[in-house]
Amino acid sequence: MITRRTLLKTAAAAAATSVISAPAIGQGTKKITFLTWNIIDQKELIEGWIKRFQSTRPGVEVEWLDKKGPEFAPFYQTQLAAGTPPDVINTQGALGLEYAAQGALLDLSPLFAREAATKARYDANYLGNWMFEGKNYMVPFYITKTLLFYNKPMFAKAGLAGPPKNFDEILAFAQKMTSGEIASGFMTLNFDWLYWPLFAMSGVDLVTPDLKKTAFNTPKAIEVVDKLAKATQSGAINKISWTGRWVEPNGAFGAGNVGMLHAHSPAYFFFKGQGSWVTPETLGVAHMPGNYATPNSHGLGISKGSKNPELAWDFVKFITDNAQAGELATRRKLVTGNVAVDQATLAKLANDDPTVYQVLKTQLEHTDKMTGNWRFGNDTRIKEAFWPELQSALLGRKDAKSALADADRRMSRELTRS
Amino acid sequence: MTAGKGWWGQRRNRQLTLIACFLLPSLAIFFLYRILPLGWNVILSFESWSPLKPAAWVGFEHYVEMWSYDDVFWVSLWNTLIFIAASPLVIAAALGVALLVNSDLRGASVYRTIVFLSYPLMTVAVGIIWRWMYDERGGIINYALRASGLVDGPVGFLQSFDWALPSVIFAGVWQTIGFYMIILLTGLQSIPQNLYEAARIDGAPAYARFFRITLPMLRPSIFLCVVVGILNSFTSFDLVYIMTNGGPGHATELLITHIYKSAFEQTKFDYAAALTVVQFGLLLLLTYAANKAAGGNAGAVEQD
Repeated sequence: MITRRTLLKTAAAAAATSVISAPAIGQGTKKITFLTWNIIDQKELIEGWIKRFQSTRPGVEVEWLDKKGPEFAPFYQTQLAAGTPPDVINTQGALGLEYAAQGALLDLSPLFAREAATKARYDANYLGNWMFEGKNYMVPFYITKTLLFYNKPMFAKAGLAGPPKNFDEILAFAQKMTSGEIASGFMTLNFDWLYWPLFAMSGVDLVTPDLKKTAFNTPKAIEVVDKLAKATQSGAINKISWTGRWVEPNGAFGAGNVGMLHAHSPAYFFFKGQGSWVTPETLGVAHMPGNYATPNSHGLGISKGSKNPELAWDFVKFITDNAQAGELATRRKLVTGNVAVDQATLAKLANDDPTVYQVLKTQLEHTDKMTGNWRFGNDTRIKEAFWPELQSALLGRKDAKSALADADRRMSRELTRS
Repeated sequence: MTAGKGWWGQRRNRQLTLIACFLLPSLAIFFLYRILPLGWNVILSFESWSPLKPAAWVGFEHYVEMWSYDDVFWVSLWNTLIFIAASPLVIAAALGVALLVNSDLRGASVYRTIVFLSYPLMTVAVGIIWRWMYDERGGIINYALRASGLVDGPVGFLQSFDWALPSVIFAGVWQTIGFYMIILLTGLQSIPQNLYEAARIDGAPAYARFFRITLPMLRPSIFLCVVVGILNSFTSFDLVYIMTNGGPGHATELLITHIYKSAFEQTKFDYAAALTVVQFGLLLLLTYAANKAAGGNAGAVEQD
């Protein structure tokens, strides 16, 4: 039987041991922080990675933090200002480029030069999305770009055989499937330039190749905007395209009364969860006309202010290598930008889940036709100068010509300032 | 000389020291969390700064930008003023409700509770509830309007450039009316009844009693409502952020959302600081005007 005296002695001995041994552990510990973007649902997976990483690197500690999208930037910026940025960060879209332009991220080019095999691991076109002024700042964590989903029964009902082949066909098909308030023909996601393929397929550029001047204020662009606005007015394009963000458009498509949805691959899982009509027989998957697509991938970067950049790089390599990336791809049914892993994932999905296979296959095709991924160091400001004016035209507040002229004026100022 | 006649021996000094001791913790917190950030904010508004860039003095550059080039600033300022202008209407409505529930109306306490219930709700929840209620396809408001034959097609309340701001304001009104009602009700109940009795004896009609007794006696409560209303208008960030995020276009953009977006979405902390200074100046101006309108001594402690 344990007496109170024995218990106290044991507790005292344990406390003394921990006090004596703590400095030794403390001196040998290297710690990094890993900040992710709204993937708290992958807790088990990420904690498993961290455990494995730590077990093969004695004295290393990885702290994991996850922030929801709207909280991410304020959190990271305050950490930057405080001089304690998380070592490894996972950002979405072009945010990484903005951080790179501000000098917050470590240039990975020298590391790639040193380790060519690591660089070769990643899809070159996706990797190129995070190049700023010729330098690599991030590597792919999981990748997405837009594609066209379509409702086959609605197509059949309207007498349409397959997906549209150009901009005018999108509008014509949409019009055919529109039925008062009951059904609309087309819908797109609008954040982060995701609607830009509609302009790219019409030959409209946002900026000149050197990114210094606007290039969109042209008669062709006015025509495109005018057509989109008229189609919106008629109901052929669902108005949610220009007012919703994620839940609303995907939810509307899931409800089964929208003919086409232009969205990136994660949308599939959202609307499939909402729409019982979504089956391999009823859902069509295609590229947008011209094979244009806007990427909205997640990348991993290292803060320049990291106290342990080599360890952070080691961690980045660890979680994007075949084992960890494969695990992520399998669990979440996505593509990672790790070429070998993605090929294996698709091969497996071709049998296991043909619809997801079709969706993910588009993410790896025509990656040379990605658009809306300009390497701006101030992407948010450019978007803020352009989008509200475009939205005004699309919702009928302004005519296309004056909206684009106003957007031109505002965007030119941002480009000059940058 | 006795100890009682020294500095500490004087009663007034002892009282002042005691007052200072009580005030000091609050003042320290006020200084650290209000005055110091505000002061730094003013300095920042004249600098070019971002988290990884050393500050450089740029004088009035941000103010010139705001005045001459930033269309969104003017839109958001105008929207904020509209938001503020809605406050008197809410206060008038709240006064009406307060008068009703202060009367001999049967079940007045139940109505009072019902009206107040919306106030303790989280603004985020209010925003989400109203967003669904306004929904073009599944919202109950559209359903009711169409079922009653008032409209033919669905109204995109939050998607419309014309309807979005009034719709957000209405949701805000719904949430805060109960709070104003309670303040005004407290004011109503503190009015001495003998004033009304005297007025009745003198034959004063109901409207005269209202304008000559009720309203003047309610002045401190109304002033409080106006100031809270102004503050609410300036800080309606969460409601706008949840319901429309400032859109469509910038139709519901307020100064506070413009400040947030400038700082945390566009990393223009320096410019956001200049916007904050303007907002603070406007707040001071309006509070001063409200105080003047309330007689110039609202909130003052009357000494015997």
